[in-house]
Amino acid sequence: MSNGASPTIQLAGVERTYGRPDADRVLALRGIDLAIPPGEYVSVEGPSGCGKTTLLNLLGLLDAPTRGDVRWDGQSVGSRPDRERARLRLEGVGFIFQRFYLLPTLTALENVELPMRALRVPRPERTRRANELLSEVGLGGRTRAYPHQLSGGEEQRVAVARALANRPGLLLADEPTGELDSANATAVLDLLDRVRADRDATLVLVTHNPEVARRARRHLTMLDGRIASDRREE
Amino acid sequence: MRRPRGWRPLRHVRLQQVLAVAAIATAVALPVVLLSVGGGVSSHELADLENAGYQIVVSAAGEHGISGAHGLSDRIQAVGSVAAASPVLSVPIDAFPGGGATPVLAEGVVPAPFVATLGPAESSLFPSPLPLGDPTDRTHFDNGTYAGPATDDVLISSPLADADHIAVGASLLLSPGANQSLGTEYRVTGTFGVAPAALGPTGAFAVVLPLSNLQVMTGYALSPSGALIDAADTVEVALVHSAEVQPSTLSHVSSEIQSMVPFYGVSSLSQQAQQLQAASGVLTGFYLALSSVGLVVGLLFLALVLVRRVESGRRAIGIRRALGLPGRWIAGDILASGTALAVVGSVVGVAGGYLIVAALAAWGSSAVQEAARLAVFVPSTLAALVAGVVALSLAASAAAVRVALRVDITEALR
Repeated sequence: MSNGASPTIQLAGVERTYGRPDADRVLALRGIDLAIPPGEYVSVEGPSGCGKTTLLNLLGLLDAPTRGDVRWDGQSVGSRPDRERARLRLEGVGFIFQRFYLLPTLTALENVELPMRALRVPRPERTRRANELLSEVGLGGRTRAYPHQLSGGEEQRVAVARALANRPGLLLADEPTGELDSANATAVLDLLDRVRADRDATLVLVTHNPEVARRARRHLTMLDGRIASDRREE
Repeated sequence: MRRPRGWRPLRHVRLQQVLAVAAIATAVALPVVLLSVGGGVSSHELADLENAGYQIVVSAAGEHGISGAHGLSDRIQAVGSVAAASPVLSVPIDAFPGGGATPVLAEGVVPAPFVATLGPAESSLFPSPLPLGDPTDRTHFDNGTYAGPATDDVLISSPLADADHIAVGASLLLSPGANQSLGTEYRVTGTFGVAPAALGPTGAFAVVLPLSNLQVMTGYALSPSGALIDAADTVEVALVHSAEVQPSTLSHVSSEIQSMVPFYGVSSLSQQAQQLQAASGVLTGFYLALSSVGLVVGLLFLALVLVRRVESGRRAIGIRRALGLPGRWIAGDILASGTALAVVGSVVGVAGGYLIVAALAAWGSSAVQEAARLAVFVPSTLAALVAGVVALSLAASAAAVRVALRVDITEALR
């Protein structure tokens, strides 16, 4: 279910509400049924507040559905205890966030090593692998730099390297180019295309930008917490 | 140059860390001072008891409560295994070395048994033989009539001799009060030293004179109606050398003396040592209870600092948890931070306590200086104190761990 193998992901009747039952509740997702086969490149588009990020959080087990089920390879995982979902995330999911979310007190190399440390990868092995990943994203010479010493594009490339650290089968990117200029945005998207193809990983990319979404092979459009359209390119 | 984004928060965190260390250090310094000085004073008093030249003390309730001191000493002296029985009367009086009065503590003793009940350290402070005339103090006492000739000899302490420029052979007027006309002229026949570590100023300005002389001078010889008082505060009893270390002999002699004077207290120094140790234990508990208030405040501050750090680091915690790092990692980081702050605070507190004691020994008032100089820093006690603070810091860190593990990932990353 993890470590390189992309899972088949299924969402069945998923709902996510926020707020207490007796108070005004916000229905962020309603009745989502979705299946994503291994290795697929999916974009999720839609206006602000339509539930894109909530969907991504449920796919990546950062959040649990209020109703319905999230399955990986047929196994129900969405409502498992926090500890189990954390383990599944660690082994099987790579996150790339709009604001990069690197840890400011760690160097680029240490940021990339962090998920491997949690998996108890031996130090020489994880340092070697982190150096390889940083070289792969074009930052071989900046391994000792702290996040505040990097440009936005460089920070996002470190975040991509970190997302790949434990060889996940599922990559989730939430507006990965939202804070980048067009040149850096193109570079990061090219990088994501390449690493997805090289690893045959599933990539789900949330974006506002139709140009960015165009790179995917499957296009989900969301509206008011529902999937309004689901279109595959031939 | 681009300014590091994390610089300001980092300075804020440093300030919090410094404050937490300072709070714990302050909380630790207090028990270090109390325990080291209190323990040192107790140890000193215990050593005094152990080094005393007598083993049993007869005492009575009230001021100068033993009556018939000469006769009682004779009866005790007659008990088997008793080497000497020395009655002692201590009364504050005034000396008039020039014109003005100098308050001094007068000790009335019977010279021969007094010398026999001095410990090795005390013996070296007094001239030998004691130049106070009649060694038995019987001539002046004269079977309770005090009609015999008085020697009117007195020994004065070296500090008194130095301060008032009194030479051996000079005469010195001693009076029971500030009224010089009630005084009696004494001849200074010698001086005695004062132990350098003696507590308080009482031992510094002192005179030693025959018991009967002091009794007559201060009105503790006969009552106005002529009845015999012959008062003393204590009778110090030394056993023959072979019997000193025999608990059974000590007990037997104590019982025998007690049967002579059923209304007086008869205690052995070993009993007094036990009582002192028990009192010292109670004081230590009191010091720790007092210190625990400071420790609670320090640890609460630590808990607040750690919770504040968690609150301000919610995003970093959210990132770690989003990546899938186990909760025990996050908890471990917080506990390690708390422990590190507690260890640093404790070490600074121990060092601070040491410096406070050193400062008191150098610049405190005379009694405080003396007490501070007796301070004993027991490594095992200090280590136990540090270990206790570190253990409590783990409990204080638990609140921050609880907050950290409840951080909602999706909210933290919003």
